[in-house]
Amino acid sequence: MSKKNSVFDGLLGDNTVLSSLMVISPVIMCGDTLRNAIAVIYAFSAITFLSVLAGSFVPKKLPYAVRIIIYTLISSLVYIPVKFAARQFFPEVIDRIGIYFMLLAVNSLIMVQTEAKFYRMKRGRMIFSLIFYILGFDAVMLITSFLRELIAHGTIYDRVADADMLISGFGMPFGGFIFLGLFCGLYRKIRSVLRRENSGGDSDASDN
Amino acid sequence: MLLITEFIVLLTSNLILTQALGTSTLFIAAGSKKNLIGTAFTITLFTTVGSAAAYFISNVLTNNAKDFTLLFYALAVGILYVLFLTVLYFVSRKTFRNARKYIHLSAFNCAVIGTLFTVTQKAQENPQFNNIGSFIIAGAEAGFGFILASFILTAAYRRLSSSDVPAAFRGFPAMLIYLGIISMAVYSLT
Amino acid sequence: MQKKIKSERFIWLDIMLTLLTLEIMQFFYYGIRAAVLSCVCAAVSLVTEIICVRLMKRQFTADDLTCISDALIISLMLPAVIDFKIAAIACVFAVTAAKNVFGGRKNMIFSPAAAAYIFILTSWRGQLIMYTEPHVHTGILEKAGTLVSSASHAFNTSGKMNFTDFEILMGNVTGSLSMLLLVVSAVILFFRNDISKGAFIGTISGTVLLACLVPMCTDIYDSIKYTLSTNMILFAAIYIISDKRTAPKHNYYAFFYGFFIAVLSYILVLTTTKENMIVIVSLLFTPVALGFRNLEKHIEILKSEEKKEAAAVE
Repeated sequence: MSKKNSVFDGLLGDNTVLSSLMVISPVIMCGDTLRNAIAVIYAFSAITFLSVLAGSFVPKKLPYAVRIIIYTLISSLVYIPVKFAARQFFPEVIDRIGIYFMLLAVNSLIMVQTEAKFYRMKRGRMIFSLIFYILGFDAVMLITSFLRELIAHGTIYDRVADADMLISGFGMPFGGFIFLGLFCGLYRKIRSVLRRENSGGDSDASDN
Repeated sequence: MLLITEFIVLLTSNLILTQALGTSTLFIAAGSKKNLIGTAFTITLFTTVGSAAAYFISNVLTNNAKDFTLLFYALAVGILYVLFLTVLYFVSRKTFRNARKYIHLSAFNCAVIGTLFTVTQKAQENPQFNNIGSFIIAGAEAGFGFILASFILTAAYRRLSSSDVPAAFRGFPAMLIYLGIISMAVYSLT
Repeated sequence: MQKKIKSERFIWLDIMLTLLTLEIMQFFYYGIRAAVLSCVCAAVSLVTEIICVRLMKRQFTADDLTCISDALIISLMLPAVIDFKIAAIACVFAVTAAKNVFGGRKNMIFSPAAAAYIFILTSWRGQLIMYTEPHVHTGILEKAGTLVSSASHAFNTSGKMNFTDFEILMGNVTGSLSMLLLVVSAVILFFRNDISKGAFIGTISGTVLLACLVPMCTDIYDSIKYTLSTNMILFAAIYIISDKRTAPKHNYYAFFYGFFIAVLSYILVLTTTKENMIVIVSLLFTPVALGFRNLEKHIEILKSEEKKEAAAVE
């Protein structure tokens, strides 16, 4: 049971973005349209998966400071072919995403969670867990960008939708902050309700 | 008057409030008020010295090698990180033990690397800006912006984590919305 | 405790009375549409507040009616011809994101009205800064005819006002409220202790000081007069900056809080010529107000500890 929980945790129970607020700058800044979101999802997934996997071969005997530097250098190297491929698939979006594309290489999942979580697991389990953490980010990015694009621009993947009232502020960074905050609160509420149901309907007094 | 204008510039060019750079770091460090301010000052040190390094790297790298910029920036920050840890180790072992985790957090994050890229981008757009002094000033400004954002968060920290806030929004979600509303006010200034 | 609850309700009643008089004046100048706008804001805020309170599993009490005064403040800051949907969305935003997410009236961080105003400013700027002339009455479902910029905009860009003192006093000015009513409201709320006295005096003295030191027009007297009557200075000083729920408790700190808001907003108006900067600055100063409140609490704790120590020594 616990093994199953830990593998799937990254998707809902311990979502990278909504639970611990990691890797939120790309969601806030680039999550205003689906087109941007898909490019970020591709880059994040590729860079994080390959970097964490490659980093797991770094000897644990090395001092912590050295290991961290090596992880950063690995992700910076992984970034190069990922960006090269992105230029072929998303030529227009790359410029729009700007520095956030590069910053995905120093995201908190690689810099913080590797040592705190992933490298404490066996490699096979780590890979499954990592995939679900990445999927967790991807899901949040997709949902956020879909809703923000619809509310702020009245489009879905650049196609005009029949939106009556547009709130352009939600396409701005501050709109991203507020939207993500509200989404995060909603996620926590759903999570606490699910947990309460799973634990047999024990009352959760704090959740008012 | 000049001071107020500078303050407004600092606010409107704030990397956290306008570009969400380093927000994850801010929230991780927000676990304690003392650590938050400490992390903010350490980040300022990294952005300032890192920007000087970025000046040399960006001027040495040719256009064909631009994709390696991130690698060299990461290497520069890594060297700074080791230097900083070494200096701290010899100055005070106790502080070294306590601050080690937050120095790591302050070194490798979007705020520092993002600042280096932002400063470089600014220099590419405006050649007059392409000198070491401007790079260092811009790096320090970005760091001060982070300090300002951490003060903004610290002021509301107790209220945002209080039992009056609904459990679902207590802590991080409330902090996000709080920063969002402040960011909205900053945006409306521009 | 009972006394505190009573005093809170009396404060709200006083504020409501002053706001309603301003609403009547708006009805006189802009017709039924201004009244309907206020009703829409009040109704949407009330419904949203009830939903939020129920979601927080709390009981809706008379104290929660403060959302209506916030709604009236929002409606008074908007042009009467603004789309009702925009006003409704802003009210939902004010009640949920700027108030109840943080725990509602028990834990007020932002002024909901200021947050709503800036929310509209960032998404529908064009609709927010264009007004109909006074006495041009627009029907409830009619589209507005000729729209003009506010008197504040004209003053900020030219340093001149094309209105007589009587018109300014009566509110017969585009995009401004009656100065006479605002002054009367300020006096009533000030002496009935319904607003933060320190914050109010701080805001007014900051504005007057800057209007003397760096006048916006050639005559200093005109500079003071027009500065106070434009850019929502007096309105924001009473209903936003001096709001007891968000301003620092002690008058000493509240004075500096109001003073710095006034100084910064004056400089911003002078340098950018944008109107109603005081509302934006008041929201930006929220961390300052919270900082002052933390300081006050800290001092109170230290004082009580000192008293305990002194009692123990005795």
